[in-house]
Amino acid sequence: MIKDVRNLFGKKRQRQKPDAVVQKLMDIVGENEVLYLKEDLISYECDGYTMSKGMPKAVVFVKSTKQVTDVVKCLNKEETPYIARGAGTGLSGGATPLGGEVLISLVKMKKMLHLDLENRKAVVEPGFINLKLTQSISDKGYYYAPDPSSQYTCTIGGNVAENSGGAHCLKYGVTTNHILGLEIVLPSGEVIELGEEGVPDRPGYDLLGLLTGSEGTLGIVTKITVKVLKNPEGKKTVLAYFDEIDDASKAVSEIIAAGIIPAALEMMDSIAIEGVESAAYPVGHPRDIAAFLLIEVDGIAAGIEDQIDEILTVCKNNNVREVKVAKDEAERGLWWANRKMGFGAMGAISPDYLVQDGVIPRTRLPEVLTKIAEISKKYELRIANIFHAGDGNLHPLILYDASIPGESERASKAGSECLKACADVGGSITGEHGVGIEKSAEMRFIFSDEEIAAQTDIRAVFNPKNLLNPGKLFPQPGRCAEVKKELVKA
Amino acid sequence: MITSGTEGVLPIEDILPKEQIKQNDEQKHPLGNGGIQMMEAYSEEDISSVLAYANEHDKTVNVISGGTKRGYGGIVELADILLSLANYKGVVDHSVGDLTLTVKPGTTLKEITNALTKTGQRVAFDTPWPELATIGGIVAANDSGPKRLLYGSARDLVIGTRIVYSDGNVIRTGGKVVKNVAGYDMNKLFIGSMGTLGVISEITIKLRPLPKYEGLSLLHFLKGNEQDIRDFSVKILDSMMEPVSLELLNPTLTEKMNGKHCYTLAIAFEDRENAVLEQEKWVKEHLPVGVEHTVMHEEEARQWWEKFRHLGPNGYNDEQHDAATQAALKVGSNNLDVLVNLELADKLAAMHAVSIEAHGGLGHGISRVFVKGSSSNIVSYIREFRTKVENGHGYVVCTHLPFQLRETVGVWGEKPGYFALLQGIKRTNDPKVILNRHRFVGGI
Repeated sequence: MIKDVRNLFGKKRQRQKPDAVVQKLMDIVGENEVLYLKEDLISYECDGYTMSKGMPKAVVFVKSTKQVTDVVKCLNKEETPYIARGAGTGLSGGATPLGGEVLISLVKMKKMLHLDLENRKAVVEPGFINLKLTQSISDKGYYYAPDPSSQYTCTIGGNVAENSGGAHCLKYGVTTNHILGLEIVLPSGEVIELGEEGVPDRPGYDLLGLLTGSEGTLGIVTKITVKVLKNPEGKKTVLAYFDEIDDASKAVSEIIAAGIIPAALEMMDSIAIEGVESAAYPVGHPRDIAAFLLIEVDGIAAGIEDQIDEILTVCKNNNVREVKVAKDEAERGLWWANRKMGFGAMGAISPDYLVQDGVIPRTRLPEVLTKIAEISKKYELRIANIFHAGDGNLHPLILYDASIPGESERASKAGSECLKACADVGGSITGEHGVGIEKSAEMRFIFSDEEIAAQTDIRAVFNPKNLLNPGKLFPQPGRCAEVKKELVKA
Repeated sequence: MITSGTEGVLPIEDILPKEQIKQNDEQKHPLGNGGIQMMEAYSEEDISSVLAYANEHDKTVNVISGGTKRGYGGIVELADILLSLANYKGVVDHSVGDLTLTVKPGTTLKEITNALTKTGQRVAFDTPWPELATIGGIVAANDSGPKRLLYGSARDLVIGTRIVYSDGNVIRTGGKVVKNVAGYDMNKLFIGSMGTLGVISEITIKLRPLPKYEGLSLLHFLKGNEQDIRDFSVKILDSMMEPVSLELLNPTLTEKMNGKHCYTLAIAFEDRENAVLEQEKWVKEHLPVGVEHTVMHEEEARQWWEKFRHLGPNGYNDEQHDAATQAALKVGSNNLDVLVNLELADKLAAMHAVSIEAHGGLGHGISRVFVKGSSSNIVSYIREFRTKVENGHGYVVCTHLPFQLRETVGVWGEKPGYFALLQGIKRTNDPKVILNRHRFVGGI
């Protein structure tokens, strides 16, 4: 049956009647809050990880916890799998539907519900944008610490699902260190509250910690109590240019060894610099350097000068070509905008790129960088390196051209090998982007079958029918590698 | 009781060498949580063999190392086996450049501190009884001290563990890197789980550099000036100062620590010397009228904290005191409700004829109350205190209670609404319920 409707642009078009499941979802949230036509669903085929795509059955926009529970209960009854989705900025495919799932979009649950600065906490809905939180409390001198590069658009709900990091987590920790409470809709439709009132250490297993970073496989977050921090009194930012990557790496270790915990300690290599200098916020970095370090120290103003002096000395002792302190907030802002453009800037120098997210003990930086250079040579693909060097979190960016046959597949293999290099020195395959679809096979680099089973057994306690975000995070014997290969081919 | 040669039972010498298995002479410990047979682990394999044996033969296992938390939870006086980790100790790996430490569970905090000091690093735990309490126990019980305000607690500091599951299998959680989101954050499940989900056989912790300079400002508030405490605390929390602690001591505790009978705020600063002095200057400039102010630096400050870390009962030396008449409570609340709860603790102490010492962190919401009195007074005190704290959205957990009072009072308070999930997790990890049976929330 066909009926006439008007689309967003007011043009008449003919619409397919929704099927029974979609109709039930419409009954819960209203007809206008469900997308189900193919042309409406295309932009929901993937998140920020674009190598795998799949068509959702429908996208449902929910506005309340009650609607989430009703939708979840309905989908349970229909045995239809579903995925919670925020802004879709995830970089590992966590919100990508591979099996015709229904996407439950939380972007319309975007209110701040409560702000209690005396107790240093705020309660927000999951669709609240990360940066907006800081912006809405900055006039009172407060901020929210986790600052992923996508903070302009990513949601706090998504940050909780992925346990997102950011440039400033060296000193201040990642999302999990800033979450005090969560309201969760379980896959059963039951609503539970963890860390009620944001009170710490409530008796019981730490489900708050378990849920944070569970990549949307244990429950759907509908309310979040976060810790907010007071702005530091002082802040200074240093930019140091090095002719040798090894010198820059050594400087990183020596800064930490000197007893300094910078708020951020970032590194970019020459290819990454080529990218950011071609993008929206060029700083004028010399193009012939091997790497730069961007170092920020904050805290009590009286203690900062000493630390900056020590950092300058460490850099000089490690053959720095040039080192400077940001002269004002404008210069500091430009340096950071340039750095935060890092991933996107790769678009300026390559048609496609794949971001990786390995972590290593920071003292192993030089050898892992050598290994990544070898991988680059082996696969004949350029690899740019952007790292949160202070906490050993590497982002190799593998540059490729998807239109050249076989190149996507080579990029994927090169990425996997970079993660192996990290795992081999006792590191991890992901520091802040999550496993999702992208790295589920690579989980085997760091976990045994028993260790993976220990985790999927826990998943079964929350998500026994595995209808909530199935096929993510854990390797599926004989399936994952195949799917990945097919998708890369496609 | 485990016997050798019984049909279907492993010969005892196949579990552990004979010298590591002891008949427990001290079966009637006033704090319970004992075992008929004491088995001492010297390695992860030992832990694994004991658990595999116990699991197969349905033997219950209580776990102990330093014994300071023996009075914390548990309504089983004697399990079949008391597994001791006290001899499974030492540093496995200290990566100075990476600021990470991997250590065996029976290592005391003092031993760790001593091993790290020469490299200018430390584990940022300021938990009590550092020479007795082991890292395994601190993590399993999620213990913390006043300086968690700035440095965080176990959930912020532990980055990896090895866990021996109830069937003897060893599972690694997390890793040795400071940032890691691969798979579920399984570390969190074991922190504070009181050994009910597995036995921690190795812990990797994020370290911090030793502070360059330490200062401690003590602010003594006269009786009746409690509103000043709140106002001052709000002011400092709203400032750009970065106190490491903002710990409020009740009058009886202040008396013990400083010989004065009044509420005292202990504000620690740890930073470069300049930065510490600047912050102390801020405190001085913002002192409410009538507040007496003492400042200590370096060794003097360290000694004050050392004394502070030896307060309250602990399971190891409780027998030296009168074990039947002591309790310790952990109270969780909104940060600023700490003041309300401490005042309440004092008021109720007079009404229930118990004596207390108490302190709590106005920036982190955790308070501790140490109670002395007759058994019946302790019971009535805790009941009323708990009801009132819960009305203010807080909770009360008994971190130390004589064995015979634990069922009467209820160590953990009411079960949470999501208790079925906790049970499900327990069933997954320890289906036969052999580990620390009934030691945790809701009788898990």
